[in-house]
Amino acid sequence: MANDWATEHLQVIRTLMERAAIYRRALAPVMLLTGSIGLLAAILGWSFKIDSPRSFVGYWTSISLLPLVGSYLMVRRQSLKDAEPFWSLPTRRVTQALLPPLAVGFIASVISFFHVGTAEANIANVIGKLWLPIGWIILYGCALHAAGFFMRRGIKLFGWIFIAGGCGLFALGIPDVPRPLYAHGVMGFFFGVLHLAYGTYLYFTEKAKNEA
Amino acid sequence: MNPEPFLQLDRVIHEKGRLAIMSLLAASPELSFTEMRDTLNMTDGNLTAHMRTLQEAGYVAVTKEFHSGRPLTTFALTGPGRKAFTNYINLLEQIVEQNRQK
Repeated sequence: MANDWATEHLQVIRTLMERAAIYRRALAPVMLLTGSIGLLAAILGWSFKIDSPRSFVGYWTSISLLPLVGSYLMVRRQSLKDAEPFWSLPTRRVTQALLPPLAVGFIASVISFFHVGTAEANIANVIGKLWLPIGWIILYGCALHAAGFFMRRGIKLFGWIFIAGGCGLFALGIPDVPRPLYAHGVMGFFFGVLHLAYGTYLYFTEKAKNEA
Repeated sequence: MNPEPFLQLDRVIHEKGRLAIMSLLAASPELSFTEMRDTLNMTDGNLTAHMRTLQEAGYVAVTKEFHSGRPLTTFALTGPGRKAFTNYINLLEQIVEQNRQK
């Protein structure tokens, strides 16, 4: 009997301590914002013929900063609205988990940006518009997976989709379709469509949970 | 069964609501009033009453400041509070261990 309540107390303590360390701010708006920017950027990139490897790398590297900044502004706005500290422990943990893979992606982008301009055309095309986007997708998946240890829901699974998708594209090799369309299409699908789909799913499940 | 660990349990922490508050604060350097209220599903009055008891016991420190013109109240465990919480968990573990050996 005494054993039961003592064990129960310890279990309650463990659960609450875990809950205190988990990131709880709404993910749906962040996902929808990232997805909208990703899809719009892919359409604009293809429409305005951002075709050269260097312009492609520069364009998408710049675009990637928009959802990052936008997401933190949204989180900050939400924390102000709820009278909560913005730089909370869970926010710090999620940021620390995201940082290494995203930093690697950013550094690789900057290096590629300077090197693809001087490389032979075919090599520049393959590096800039095929391998680098695949690298971005895989690294982004790793970042999501790492952050998933401090978040609720299926963020880790979402990260795995990126990792598996990126590896799958790498296994497919160099495609026959026109490269600008392929490169912008891949970016639009992973950073646009997938985020929009996940954001929509989160939006409705969150809403249903709140109404219950 | 040796009743001693049970008798040594800190009555301030042993209450369900306060135990929950102490657990949350033990896992985080500080938490705001709203974060705690929402996580624990407590009313404002209930949380305030428990916080007052914990503050009087010297287990919790309260900071009141203004963020963008809005009041922000945050709570953190004090040194004695962390020590008392650790002691409480150790006693619970002793009780579990004692019963396991029986």
